[in-house]
Parts: sequence; structure tokens; C-alpha cells
Amino acid sequence: MAAPIQSRSLVGEAILLVLICAFCVFPFYWMVTTSLKTQVVALESPPVWWFTPTLANYWEVLFEDKVGVSLINSIIVAVCTTALAITLGTPAAYALARFEFRGKTDLWFWFITNRFVSPVVLAFPVFLISRELGLRDTHLALILMYLTFSLPIVIWICTDQFRSIPRELDEAAMLEGASQWRIFRSICLPLAMPGVAVSSILSFIFSWNELLFAYILAPKNAKTAPAMAVTFMEGYDVPYGKIMATSTLIVIPVLIFALLASKHLVRGLTMGAVK
Amino acid sequence: MNMKTHVSALALAAGAAFGAAGSVGAWTLEEAAKPYAGTELEVLFLDRPGYNAAIKMLPEFEAATGIKVNYTTVPYENALGEQVRDFVAGGDLDIALIDLVWMGNFAENGWVVPSETFINNAALADPALDMADFFPLVLDAFGSWNGVNYGLPFDNYSGLLFYNKCMLEAAGFDKPPATWQEVMDTYGPALTKDGKFAYALQSKRNETQSADSFARFLWPFGGSFLNAEFKSNLNSPESQAGLQFRQDLMKFMPEGIVAYDHAETVNAFAQGDVAMITEWSAFYSTVVSPETSKVADCVEIAPEPTGPAGRKPALGGFSLAVASQADEAEQAAGWLFIQWVTSKANAGKYLEMGGVPARQSAYADPALAATFKFIPALVESWQEGVPEFRPRFAEWPAITEIVQEWGTKIMLGEVSIEEGAKNIGEKMEAVLAEAGYYDGKKPLAQ
Amino acid sequence: MTTKVSRKTLAAFLGPAVFALAIVGIAPLLFAVWKSLHYFNLTKRAQERFVGLENYATVLTDQAFWEAMGRTALLFIIAVPVQIVLGLIIALVLHRPGLTLFKTLTRLSLVLPMATTYAVVGLLAQVMLNQKYGVINQMLGWIGIESINFIGDPTNAFIAVILWDIWQWTPFVALILLAGLSTVPPEIEEAATLETRSNWTVLRHVQLPFLIPSLVAVLILRTADTLKLFDMPFTMTRGGPGSATEFIAVLIERVGNRQFDIGMAAAQSIIMLAVTIVLARLYIRFFYREVR
Repeated sequence: MAAPIQSRSLVGEAILLVLICAFCVFPFYWMVTTSLKTQVVALESPPVWWFTPTLANYWEVLFEDKVGVSLINSIIVAVCTTALAITLGTPAAYALARFEFRGKTDLWFWFITNRFVSPVVLAFPVFLISRELGLRDTHLALILMYLTFSLPIVIWICTDQFRSIPRELDEAAMLEGASQWRIFRSICLPLAMPGVAVSSILSFIFSWNELLFAYILAPKNAKTAPAMAVTFMEGYDVPYGKIMATSTLIVIPVLIFALLASKHLVRGLTMGAVK
Repeated sequence: MNMKTHVSALALAAGAAFGAAGSVGAWTLEEAAKPYAGTELEVLFLDRPGYNAAIKMLPEFEAATGIKVNYTTVPYENALGEQVRDFVAGGDLDIALIDLVWMGNFAENGWVVPSETFINNAALADPALDMADFFPLVLDAFGSWNGVNYGLPFDNYSGLLFYNKCMLEAAGFDKPPATWQEVMDTYGPALTKDGKFAYALQSKRNETQSADSFARFLWPFGGSFLNAEFKSNLNSPESQAGLQFRQDLMKFMPEGIVAYDHAETVNAFAQGDVAMITEWSAFYSTVVSPETSKVADCVEIAPEPTGPAGRKPALGGFSLAVASQADEAEQAAGWLFIQWVTSKANAGKYLEMGGVPARQSAYADPALAATFKFIPALVESWQEGVPEFRPRFAEWPAITEIVQEWGTKIMLGEVSIEEGAKNIGEKMEAVLAEAGYYDGKKPLAQ
Repeated sequence: MTTKVSRKTLAAFLGPAVFALAIVGIAPLLFAVWKSLHYFNLTKRAQERFVGLENYATVLTDQAFWEAMGRTALLFIIAVPVQIVLGLIIALVLHRPGLTLFKTLTRLSLVLPMATTYAVVGLLAQVMLNQKYGVINQMLGWIGIESINFIGDPTNAFIAVILWDIWQWTPFVALILLAGLSTVPPEIEEAATLETRSNWTVLRHVQLPFLIPSLVAVLILRTADTLKLFDMPFTMTRGGPGSATEFIAVLIERVGNRQFDIGMAAAQSIIMLAVTIVLARLYIRFFYREVR
């Protein structure tokens, strides 16, 4: 692994990087190209790499199969979940990072544990409860349930971020008589932006992609895009082009969001690495 | 086809006009629907030919009645779960889509309304309803439970033998196999060569495994799931013989057959890789359309081969029934729709658009049999059959999971046939005991 | 090093989050515990009754349940170390200076797998791994390997799930470890690099201590996600063939959602949750510098 000749090592490194890129991108590439194939071309054996692309699958899923509506539902749910998780989570993370109180470790642990709870544990009881409360098939039911995994991730990442902010800053502000809330809002929160950004991305991705809650709790009006994609999986006739078109439509918004914020990704993911 | 559609639409319009102008008492759909104009109906549909046909016919119904039918398309795999959850939660489905194996479940839970309620209501019942025109086997199996009818057969299937005439002829066969034994002894060896296979049996671990694979080889060999006392009959010599036969037949099937669902099986046939499949009638349009099939010109259809105990072809299909959670107007409107879409008058059009009606009158026209090659085999298959091909009681959803798991394990050779059948039997009996069949709490109906 | 604040301030900061999680997390859980003590089947509401611990007894002696647990553990034991090793290699390469454009592109491409909807990943696997028209088999053919029946063979299907899990989550692991590497003070790293030519030594003695928290975070997150793994096998194999890919969450979904036996599914979930909490506790006790 030592690098006696700098240039040779650089070439090796470049090749490795290209391999990594290919490894990550290829399935995605295949998804997009399959979405541009007709059913006959998609089922051709061996698979074809060059073909005349068609947008018919997109046309069909967007205008005939109500995928558009499900994408809007997904956006509503994911955005609201993320906003709510950040609003609730950052103050809590700040408190965990800065304040002294009894049972702090247990509280932190309890927050994180929620991330472990599988949706299958909660889905059925919540289904029964939601029907009593009239929340069945509403966005709200999904948003609330998605808090169970997005809130812990926000608290986890942001606690570590707040702890990495030098305390001198808030001590100075405190001497000037600023309230804790002011210090949190005006000094620490802006400095913790990488963490907030990353936890927003993750919370968005997790909520956007969730399937199990979605398909038990929101069968129709609030149906989200992943649940919609699964809908095409009728064992009777599997329309690969349509499935992949839907999949591409689902992935693109997340991707844009994630790429936009990707420069924060590394700075914000320093979980638990406290100086 | 367009032409014909126009003609029948005209005929309907003319009929309607005549009805309205005629005697006051004559029943018309428009008249019957008047109080329910504006009612919206919620129903689940599948993405299958029969439903697409119904969807194409919907505008006509909506225009005539002012009733709106909102269908949601779901995959078969989710259709039971979504309906159960909707009915348990008091949701908004007004019409139940009932696979024959869900019949007992829906009826026993009181989720569907007996059709008698509407048939006895002169304001709602079409005088031309003619229940006797449905194939009796189909009406009984798909729509009735314990002697009470709930649903009218809507999306109807029978298992058929699809065969590639060109491949058979090339191998020296001038007709399809009449018995399973022939498949095993002559057709199988002759047609399995050069990367091609004689037969493919969809066996994926879902309802396909129970319905299309497991049960298909029980009945023709004299086997069954349950004996007269509702104990497992899977270890009887006949059941074992059937399952053993299926296992032996696998040498003429493509590798990895346990991962084949309908789509893969039909595709293998349509690509010309497999000479014969036993599939539902509804796949006819897929295999004869040049767009989806390379062998469109070679496709021929016959009834399923017979076993020692006769034909007993796979039986499957869906009926539509009015949901009891719907309010009065929705129930009435729901009935009008069900009655209309399964009616004698619409059967021809439904057939043309890709559906398979269960109306005997629809198949009387010999000209149709020339266009739709599956008709003679279908009619023959529906003459006799076992309604409990898969038991239709409320416990089936639990039992089918057991059959799916162990059925695929048997095929994979992970357990012996005897061992697997014993396992299914024990677990099945536990489910039935829990349900109260053995202490007289429940009648032995399947 | 922390501030003492009034109860009111504390409640203002923590109250909303605690309250929200209690409502959405704890309330349904208690409900699940209650239901797990009942025979409760959605399609047999008439037979609903209190059965005490009967469901638990059934689950604990149920071979299928333990097999699913074992399968989940096996997946974890194989997939996570591979993800960590590959992720670490990727992170180390990206962390080295030079080739900036390449590295930015690579970092961006790392986002792709983790952003792809899990259910879609399973569907994609079906398309790409198909024995006849799958592109993976085509590519194997190019290098002279006979086409492999990925989905139809129990062992291969399990391997396919592992490979796909690695594809989806290695980049995430790499990003977390890369973030961890960025916390190593550059001066220490430079000094060490000057002193030794061995990358291994630098990794072992300089970088690793800073990576421990990230590694624990990875372990915790991957344990949680492996136990929850449902979408991908569900859309890819439905737990088959046989029960080769029936992981614990897939099993519970089947019992609750297809057999409608909510009482039993609840009991299974509670047992699974207990296992999860114990695991999480262990990790944190042994590795993680807790909030002080």
C-alpha cells in the first residue's frame, strides 16, 4: 500500500475511484434505462444495451396510474416529518448537549432506542388506534409514525454537533444576559447547521422511502410513492418498464435533495466524535 | 371490435329509450338508478384483463346511472389484506372483490350482503338477471358460502393447457397430451432438449404455490387437502402420489421453477422456451398477441390433462358482492353495478374486451369459439370441478401460508414429500382446531 | 462541563420531543403488549379472548421464528463486516489528498444507493438478477461464468440479498467513516505520515482512535436496520424460495398482515424488540462515549 512512485499510486487510486463510482451508479443506470424500454425490450434475453428509448412508461404512470398524486403525498409526508423532527429534535439535542440533569444518559438512550423499533412492531397497533381516532389513510398518521425513526436520528446527530461547538461562545453570550433560548437559536443552531442539514437529509430519505407503515396505514388517499411502486408488482404480469419509471420518479427528488446538501454530508455525519 | 362496440352501445341506448317510453312498470337501469345518482362507489380492482375490460365499460354505466365507480388498483397479494383492514376499520369500500378462497372469510365475518336482499327488491333487481345462466359450478364456488349466494362471478378463470403446436408437431405429436401420465412418459422426454423444456409450472411462494402448483397435482390424483372429518388428507396414498408426480415432473421444467410466478411462466411460454403450461384462461390475450408473444401463431388450448381421478382442473376467480359496511344508497348502487357488469347483456362485450364472463349464454355462439380459441376448453372445464379445489373457509388465509412455505420446501428438496405433507397437515389441523371444527363449534364447510 | 438550568427551561427544551415520542412510540407499544396477551385475529374478531402468555410460548417454541432470527443474525454477521471494510477503504481513499474532481464525483455517487428507495432496490434486484433477462447474468457470461439462478435457489437468493444490502449500505458506512476521518486533526496525521511510510500504521495508531465513535454509530445503525430489514427482501423474493430469505421482519409482517393474527405478530415483535434493546445497550455500554 506504500506509495514509492506518486504517479503510479495516483493512477491506481483513480481506477479505484472509477470502480467505486461504477459500483454505485450502475444499478441506478440500469433502472433508468429499463424505464425507457418497452415491455418486449425489457424482457429481451440477453438484455439489450442500445435501444430506442420511449417515454411511454412515464406518461402511463404519471397520467394513468396516479403516481403523480402519490409523489405529492410523499412530498407532503416527508417534508412535514422532517420539519417536525427538526423543530422538536434540535432543542432536545441542545438540552442533551448543554444542560445538566438527572437521567440524561437514560433519556438519550431512550431517544436512540426508538430508532431500533421496527415498523412491524408499531404498524398493527397503530392501525387499530388510527381507526379509532379517524386518522386512517391520512398524511398525519404517517407523519406522526415517521417521527419514531426521524426524531431519534435528528437528536443523535445534532446532540453531537452541539457538543462540538466551543462553549466559550455561549458563555460569553450568557454573561451578556442572553436567555438559553436565544443562545440556542442565535448562536448554536447556526453553528450546528451541518448536523441539522445531514439529519434533515437522512430524515427526509428515511421518510420518503418508508414502505411498511405506508402500506398498512395509507391504502388510498394518502398513498405514498413507494407503496405505489409495489402496486405494480402483480404476479400476473410484471410491467418492468412502468415499475422502473415509477422507481426513477421516486428516486429523483431524494437525489436532488441529497446532492444539494451533500457538501454538508461529511461535516455533519461526525456522530459521537466529540473533541 | 370498435364497430361491434358501437353497435351494442346503440342497442343499449335504443333499449333504454324503448324502456322509458314503454309501460310504466318496465324495469330499466336508468329508472332504478335515479334515486342513487351521484352516489360514489369504492372498489378494489386488480391489474388484470378482466378489470381492464370492466374499466373500459365503466363510462357507459356511469352515463346511464349517474353513479360513479372509483376503483383502486392493487396487486393480488395485497388485495385480501387491504380489504380485511378496510372492513375491520369500517372503511369506505362499498363493493367487495372476493377471490373464491376468501368467500368463507368474508361471509362468516358478515362483511358482505347476501344477494337475495337485492334480488327480492323489485326496484333493484333486473328482471333479466337470470341467475341460472351463470355456470352453476362457478356461481357456487366463486359467489356462495354455505348455500347462500353473496357475489356474482365477475373475473373468472379455469386452468387450461396452453400448448405450442409448432413445438409439439416438431417432436412428432399431433395432439396435446390427454393425461398427466402422457406428459410424464412421452411428451416430457421428447420436448425437453436443447435448452427447451416440456412444461413449466408456476410455483412461487405465494398463492400461486397453493393454487397453481400444490392443489393442481392433488385433485387429479384423487388427493385432497382434508378428509371427511376435516383432518389432513395430505398423507393419503393418493395425495402423496400426486405430490410425488409433481416432484418427478420437475425434470421437464426449467431450473428454479419455485421462483416462477405467472409472469415468468407465461413469458417462458411466449418466448418459445417451454412447450406447455397450465395457466388461467385470462392469459389467452397475452400469449396470442404478437406484441407480447413470439409464438402467437403456434398457441393452441386444451383442457388440462386428466389424472387417475379425472380432470379436476384448477378453479379460480373473483366475484363482486355488496359490502355490508356501505350505507343504503351505496349498497343499492353497488348492486346495480355488480348486476350490470356481470349481466347477460354485457357478457359478449366483456369477452371482446378481454374479460372472461361466467355466462353460459355468452359462449353459445359458435362464431365466438373461432375467435377465442380457449372457449371450448373453458366450457368443458366448467362443466365439472371441485369448488373446494382450495378450501374456501375462513381459515384458508392461514392455511395457504403453510402450504406455500412447505410446498416450496418440498419442491426444493429441503424436506421429503412425506415429511412436508405431514408438517402441513399438523399445522393445518392446529389452525382448524383453533377455529373450532373439531369440537362441533363450526360446521364442516369448505 | 454542563450548565444547570431551571426545570422550566429544561421542560421547554426537552418536553415537546419527549411528549411526541411518548405518543407515537410508547403508546402503540403498550397497546401491542396488551394485544400480545390476546388471541386477536382480524378475520376472527368473534373469538377474541385473553390468553395470557400463550402467544409468547408459541413464538418461543416456533421453529420458523428462530430460523428467521438466525437468518437475520447471519445476514448481519456477513454483511456488516464487509460493509465496514469496504466502507473504510472507500473512506480512506476519499480522505487522501489529490484528484479532487474524481473524489467529489465519487462522493456524490455514494449518495445514490442510500437514496434509492429500499422497495425499489428489491424490484431492481429482480430485474437485474433474473436468470434469463438479467443484466448481471449477462455480465457474468462475458467473463465465462454460467448464468446463475439468483432468485430461484435458496442459497443464491440469500447471497443476492446480502450483495444487495452491501450495495445499498456500504456508501452510507463510507460517508460516516469519512466524516469520522475528518475529525482527525490534520497536524497529527501529517506528522504521522512523515514518520512512517506505512498506511496501516497511520490507520491503526492515529486514525482508528478517532474512528471508534463512527464505527459504533455504524454498528448501531446497521444493527437496527438489519433487524428492520423488510422492504428489500419483500419486493425481491417475498421471503422465498422456501423460507430462504424470510428475515424476522418479513416473518412478522406475514403473520400480522397475511394471516391477520395480530396477537401473535405482537408477541413476536415484543420479543424482537427485547433482543434489539439488549443489543443496543451492549453496544453503547461497551463502545460509546455516552452523553456526560
